[in-house]
Amino acid sequence: MQKNVASTDAARKAGGDSLPDAVPFGSQITLWLRERWDIVAIACLALAPLFIPALGGALGGQVTTLFIYCILALGLNVMVGYTGLVHLGIAAFFGIGAYVMAILTVPMYPFQIGFLAAAILSTLVAAGVGLALGAPTLRLRGDYLAIVTLGFGEVVKVTLRNLEQITGGMKGLNPVPPPGAGVQIGGIDLGLAFAIDPRWFYYLSLGVLIGVVIAMRRLENSRLGRAWVAVRENELAASAMGISATRVKLSAFAMSSAVAGLAGCLYAASLSTTADPNAYDFNRSIMVLCAVILGGLGSIPGTLLGVTILVGFDTVLAPWADSWIQQMNINPTGSSLLSFSGWRLAIFGVALVLVMRFRPEGLVPSRRLAAELRQEHS
Amino acid sequence: MSVQFFLQQCLIGLTNGALIALVALGYTMVYGIIGLINFAHGDLIMLGACLALSLVAALGLAAAGPATTWLGIGLLIVLCGLFCGTLNVAVDRFVYKPLRNAPKLAPLVSAIGVSFIFMNVGLFWIGSADRSFPELLPSINLLPGNSLQFNWKDLLVVLVVAPLMVGLSLLVRVTRLGKAMRAVSQDPTAAALVGIDVDQVIAATFFIGGFLGGAASVIYGLYINTIGFQMGFQNGLYAFTAAVLGGIGSIPGAVFGGLVIGLVRALASAYVGERWTGAIVFAILIVILVFRPEGLLGRRTSEKV
Amino acid sequence: MNARNWIIGLLFCCGPLWAVACRPADPTLVKIVSSLPRTGSAKQQSDTLVRGIRMAIEEVGSKVGPFRIEYLDLDDSTAAAGQWTSEAEAANARRALQDPDVCAYIGTFNSGAAKVSMPILNLGDLLMVSPANTAVGLTKPGLGEPGEPGVYRPTGRINYMRVVPADDLQGPLSADWAKKRGIQNVYILDDNEVYGKGLADLFDERCREIGIEVLGHDSIDSKAQEFKSLMASIKALAPDLIYFGGTTQSKGGQLAKDMTSAGIQAMLLVPDGCREQVFIDSAGAANLEGRCFVTFGGLPPEKLTGRGRKFVERYREKFGETPEAYAVYGYEAACVALLAINNAGTKNRRAITDAALALRDFDGALGRWSFDENGDTTMRTLTVSGVKNGRFEFEEILNATTAGSEDTTE
Repeated sequence: MQKNVASTDAARKAGGDSLPDAVPFGSQITLWLRERWDIVAIACLALAPLFIPALGGALGGQVTTLFIYCILALGLNVMVGYTGLVHLGIAAFFGIGAYVMAILTVPMYPFQIGFLAAAILSTLVAAGVGLALGAPTLRLRGDYLAIVTLGFGEVVKVTLRNLEQITGGMKGLNPVPPPGAGVQIGGIDLGLAFAIDPRWFYYLSLGVLIGVVIAMRRLENSRLGRAWVAVRENELAASAMGISATRVKLSAFAMSSAVAGLAGCLYAASLSTTADPNAYDFNRSIMVLCAVILGGLGSIPGTLLGVTILVGFDTVLAPWADSWIQQMNINPTGSSLLSFSGWRLAIFGVALVLVMRFRPEGLVPSRRLAAELRQEHS
Repeated sequence: MSVQFFLQQCLIGLTNGALIALVALGYTMVYGIIGLINFAHGDLIMLGACLALSLVAALGLAAAGPATTWLGIGLLIVLCGLFCGTLNVAVDRFVYKPLRNAPKLAPLVSAIGVSFIFMNVGLFWIGSADRSFPELLPSINLLPGNSLQFNWKDLLVVLVVAPLMVGLSLLVRVTRLGKAMRAVSQDPTAAALVGIDVDQVIAATFFIGGFLGGAASVIYGLYINTIGFQMGFQNGLYAFTAAVLGGIGSIPGAVFGGLVIGLVRALASAYVGERWTGAIVFAILIVILVFRPEGLLGRRTSEKV
Repeated sequence: MNARNWIIGLLFCCGPLWAVACRPADPTLVKIVSSLPRTGSAKQQSDTLVRGIRMAIEEVGSKVGPFRIEYLDLDDSTAAAGQWTSEAEAANARRALQDPDVCAYIGTFNSGAAKVSMPILNLGDLLMVSPANTAVGLTKPGLGEPGEPGVYRPTGRINYMRVVPADDLQGPLSADWAKKRGIQNVYILDDNEVYGKGLADLFDERCREIGIEVLGHDSIDSKAQEFKSLMASIKALAPDLIYFGGTTQSKGGQLAKDMTSAGIQAMLLVPDGCREQVFIDSAGAANLEGRCFVTFGGLPPEKLTGRGRKFVERYREKFGETPEAYAVYGYEAACVALLAINNAGTKNRRAITDAALALRDFDGALGRWSFDENGDTTMRTLTVSGVKNGRFEFEEILNATTAGSEDTTE
């Protein structure tokens, strides 16, 4: 608690653009709300399914996807945000997580080791692949590293597509059983419950997301987290201070890949299929990267917000707006100029350009970055 | 399945590579001067191709005689080049220029945003399905015999790309503008101190990169014969890879990288299988970068303290 | 500081929005939804399908028995992907499942997408009629992967039907046709997707059985832009026929172009995924003229009789163009759904699904046909068309009474 208060104070000092209503009432409740917004957010999200029946339907599945992307983006944030290494192939690790999960659980294979064990293993495998890619390529400078990760993403995609005997090719691997398949609790088959009611997955992924956020917060202020930032700020200076840049970067690589792998295995389980390898292509990497930068590099709330806006736009808002336009019968001829989906790309693009134009450091810049920027400008 | 087969594949690879190189130049020039990976470049070319398609229809080139056709192609290249160049300068002025002092990744995201906007424009322009680009040049083999195929459109690629590249390298090496461009790419502050109008030089770079992209879009239409609103992505991916492979920021590097990528793609398709082409190109890229971290022709830069 | 304001604000904004999204069920309202790729490259085909569906619903005056019919056209593609995605398809299926008014689900277009939504919809016994899926594993036991189609039916009951013949008809019959045409050797390409690859594999298998030499079988990357080196490799093998298992969207047109520019004289055979005018436009009519043939399960629009003919006429009146081959399948699927709702006379999903499955000798736009015990259509005709003067020209009708049906009984 002590630390939290201190850091928020720092943020208030750093973020000169804080809203003018920061102090006025000073009532206990608003103060508490301001200090612990995260608890409020978690409580709202945790209680939402009880009050919003739509979450038991398609919306539940969409919000689950959103949570999963949040986890993925938090993983990417370790590399791009904390360590400053541009990564254009995060979707490959997302895919590796999903495929390892599927291989370990689908009926096609003899393993079928159950969700929990498979989740742990796929996270580890993703981390291992991350290390294997990171080790030889770490000496590359920024943009060259970016292109290597991009290339790796393409290689993984093509390999997944072509190794039909193992990955099922474009068919993907399915069905991935839901967590707890076959486990009976009080006469209810847990697996069936997961399959029928999206709220189970909603809570599962929300739980994992909260776990990852907590872990990231602790990492941020740990020795390793500070080392990441030191390397980002100035690799030479950091090495001069006795930090092994190689080891620090490698750990970021591994951590990033592991979290992405974890997100991937949740993804496969929630869709009950790995989907086809195109689901793990460059587009997805770019989308997540945009979300992280849009929200604010190295900032956890920023990353969450960025994903909510970008992915939420594409998977929740756009379909909703389209069906609304249809129901209102605004567009009887079906012209693409009048449908929302016809404009999706442009809206997306304009939003990215405008946010970067007016808030280049992101919507919710990390305290440290914001402080630096302010120094530079003054 | 012989020497001739190998030669045929090399011919295809080099022709493809020349086109990739022309696109890669747009990436490498912009990167060299402001350090931005211009993700929108591929989609800029897509818009150029849309314009070319509309112009072909408007000018009625599909039904014209040979002399008019060649004249028309020349006109298309100039018009699409001017269009793409101007558009590129406009994007720089309104999107990238305000971000010169922003964190390094901000313009990158803006570029991705611009690429989405371009795609949407293309979607409204030519529709969502792939469109056929009229075959203005006859599919006649220019080489004797049936073993090696080299059509008019293959020749067109060489005829247009080679002079453009020679012209560009002369421009950069000999002219005042080229000198200024090199100065700005080395150190914009120092360049400004010696009286170079940095903004103007950057705008000129965007214009030249865009012009080459516009020329590439016309050749693309005539050579590949299919355009679609999503073509920019794949186009850009290989070109960007070529630029990095050759050493991003280096003009001969981009050309060399483009040719290498084209060649690797053709040979991988011929000797390993079409389905593995993408993986092999990028695997080779990774291996090369591991051993030559600054690209094939890139300069080794020492870290600044 | 900013962060919490943002997030709290967002929560407050989203709350009411979500609450609005759910309304109580209306006993006289029945919703039919379709889930098709409405963005990206398959849009043109899905446009014609949706027109067909709308026409079927308009024909009955949006009323069936005591029910008012409402139609909702869902999109299973996203702008970012430019094609169908598993997430969008799963979201559509969940949305349909959870809305008690939805009684029929028309879709999907892509066989891969059906694999995602089938198990979800099956849990609610929601009637799913596909106008376009042809992958065999979706319905036919023993012909697809091990475990198919059981894995798509967690409840063990059938809720998925299709009005289009599956590929176990099209693949082998196309090979038989090639043989009849005197083809001795073939080079097979596919687009590496569920539909195209499945079909190409069946074609490949049948060719080997009946003695057509398969010179090679490769998959293309449907995102690649040109296939010049691939065509140079094929040219060196000099096949009589090139078979492409794929669609217009997966670069069927580009293949035809690069064939010509590589100087290949061979014939080109493509499946129903390419039977649309866009294919000819994208390939350039001159490149296909006289040498490209396309197979299609069922009859092409110009050969339809009775109800089908009427449909084609009305379509032409309404939209001023001849319908694409798939439009009539959208129409047929919607007719099946409407008839099932009518026959069941209730909003009970299971009753509607059973009513659909029980359809026998349905006199539809495609002719007279029934659903078999797997939910497949009993219609087993295949037509071959050629390309003449820039249009598809009917060539001949093949009946599965010969080799094709033997194949399925194995």
